[in-house]
Amino acid sequence: MRKVFMTALIFVLLLVSCSYAEEIKIGSCIYRFNDAFMLRFRNAMTTEAEKEGATITHADGQDDQPTQDAQVDEFIQAGVKVLIVNPVNRMDAQPIIDKAKAANIPVVFINREPSIEILNTYDKAYYVGAKAEESGQLSGELIAEYFKSHPEADKNHDGKLQFIMLKGQNGHQDMILRSRYSVEAIRAAGIEPVEVASAIANWDKLEAMKIMNGFVMSIGPENIEAVIANNDEMALGAIEALKIVDYNKGDKDAYVPVVGVDANASALDAMDKGEMLGTVLNDADNQGTAAVKLALALASGKDINSIGYEITDGKYIWVPYQKVTRGEK
Amino acid sequence: MANTSKSKRLFTTAGIVFLALGIILYFAKAPLGLNRKIYDLPVFLIIIGVCFALKGFMAKEKTEEEAALSGKTFSEFLTNNAILLAMLVLVVVICILQPRFMQIRVALDILTQSSTKLIMALGICFTLLIAGTDLSAGRMVGLAAVVSASMMQTATYANRFFPELPQVQVWMPIIIAILACMVFGALNGFLVAKYDMHPFIATLAVQVIIYGACSLYFDMPPNNSQPIGGIRPDFAALGQMRLFNGLYKGFPGISILIPIALVICVIIWFILNKTVFGKNVYAIGGNREAAVVAGINVFRNIMGIFILASCLYGIAGVLEAARTAGATNNYGNGYELDAIAACVVGGVSLNGGIGKVGGIIMGVLIFTIIQYGLQFINVSPMWQQVIKGVIIAVAVAIDLTKYRRK
Repeated sequence: MRKVFMTALIFVLLLVSCSYAEEIKIGSCIYRFNDAFMLRFRNAMTTEAEKEGATITHADGQDDQPTQDAQVDEFIQAGVKVLIVNPVNRMDAQPIIDKAKAANIPVVFINREPSIEILNTYDKAYYVGAKAEESGQLSGELIAEYFKSHPEADKNHDGKLQFIMLKGQNGHQDMILRSRYSVEAIRAAGIEPVEVASAIANWDKLEAMKIMNGFVMSIGPENIEAVIANNDEMALGAIEALKIVDYNKGDKDAYVPVVGVDANASALDAMDKGEMLGTVLNDADNQGTAAVKLALALASGKDINSIGYEITDGKYIWVPYQKVTRGEK
Repeated sequence: MANTSKSKRLFTTAGIVFLALGIILYFAKAPLGLNRKIYDLPVFLIIIGVCFALKGFMAKEKTEEEAALSGKTFSEFLTNNAILLAMLVLVVVICILQPRFMQIRVALDILTQSSTKLIMALGICFTLLIAGTDLSAGRMVGLAAVVSASMMQTATYANRFFPELPQVQVWMPIIIAILACMVFGALNGFLVAKYDMHPFIATLAVQVIIYGACSLYFDMPPNNSQPIGGIRPDFAALGQMRLFNGLYKGFPGISILIPIALVICVIIWFILNKTVFGKNVYAIGGNREAAVVAGINVFRNIMGIFILASCLYGIAGVLEAARTAGATNNYGNGYELDAIAACVVGGVSLNGGIGKVGGIIMGVLIFTIIQYGLQFINVSPMWQQVIKGVIIAVAVAIDLTKYRRK
């Protein structure tokens, strides 16, 4: 009796949901809720969906690919019109694509890029994200611009830029690309970069502070013309180490320009105090908006070229990183 | 008799030689253009010279002194002080490779970095003295750092942990952070004392609990696991303030952490040597059964040990947050091993009952100098790990050899 009642209820609900078919349901799979960047991304998507009158439901993948695969199934069962997926493991995106393809639902990947081979197996698979190398390139440009506009930054007057590189976790894609492209951007700006020292500080403030403390004492702050860190936390650690020798405390003559990536609150705070030169923002808000706009266009069959973001190679939306320097927020 | 005066003479002569060399270099370095080659070496030579000379004058007429220098026990002397000697060799090598090492600034920096480590080592030594250990120490540092930093953010900071929290007095979060650690310290002590659990397992379990609890706290909205920043300057001053800054030109000042650590040293020395509790700690460590028979309340003393130790880790954690002007739940990770290693290098026996505050200070200094020195010449962190492990293994091996000899 109860079973019959439940079936009837579900049937009625289905009818009701069909009658409101113009409200598009989006299923969003986040690799892990507990991630500051993805939190911003998620909020941006929710805001955009509400604005467009669509409903978006987020699922927490708990950093576990099987969990996420199950959530994709659940979304498909629940009848979502489009999927937005932030894969736990970008190399394991194939099963997700296969599921979406079988149900003929478009899928937009975000933040973690599946390989082109995987994306090409389904014509309704897309990717929205930022180019990792761009973050490195922009942080290099920040340093190069400072170096050019401040002649005193060339402390030993040799026309070259003596810098220290603080790197993230060894082998991490962002670490490799940011390290390489920041230096290349300096070279492209016509300045010869000279690496005085570099070290792996695992994205960590404390570790970066310890390492930088060693460099400051052994090399001397007067021989360091820039510090390039793969992220803001390491940049802030470097600044704390510089402060021990009374550098970067607001005195123009005792200053080493330090740049990071992420634009987190502590970095903005340090920039306001004049301790840090600049950082690069991975634009979560813009990426979230782009992902939802693309998803809605796909679900409603609209032209995806009319959403206000450029589609590259028919599959990608690249949202640019942004330089953030003092005075901006 | 002859031997005694020999050792006395040796120290005095060495002292005078160093002193003279130091004074000569002090006046000669500027004219010879050695300023950028030897930095503050003369000052260090003078200090070493004075220390040696004083030791020579003060040397007691004891038979151990002559034994230490007679040929037969010379190799024993070498083994017992292997790590100290290795450190001296390393220091000389670093000075040659990177003369900047010979700066007063560097020496003061090493002392500063030793300070928090010393506070931790003094805490952990209590647990080692009862032939135990405390693996939860590092995570307690993290807990204290996160708790204190979370309440010490500037009002204007964009990403506050408690957006509505008023600007409280500095001491309040510090007390709360230390109390939080002491709760877990009490849990450690309870598990060990009540169930006679091995401290290794008890503190390992508590370590995991603390990390989990700290991560939960750290993950509370609106913070959501973001590193805590925007630390108030009055709190950061606790770890960053420097006394006598600019006493003379180029003097970097003495970090406030050094006097803090010294005061704690004196307190711990007093507790260990002048109180009933201290005597009980040694008694329980030396022979637990005998201590029970002698009427010592083991339960209460073990509780006391772990709570006192956790209080010290809490202090270290607060200072670490202040020094770095920030905190994450990952702070303090692995600090317990450094602290245990420093204690062992400083002559605290893992078999319990043996260990002095003076030795621990030495151990921490030796260990910090080695670590700092390796970082100074930019040895890869992977090699640093290897070397650190070797030091610990050697120190424990020496400790056990000594123990067996008895």
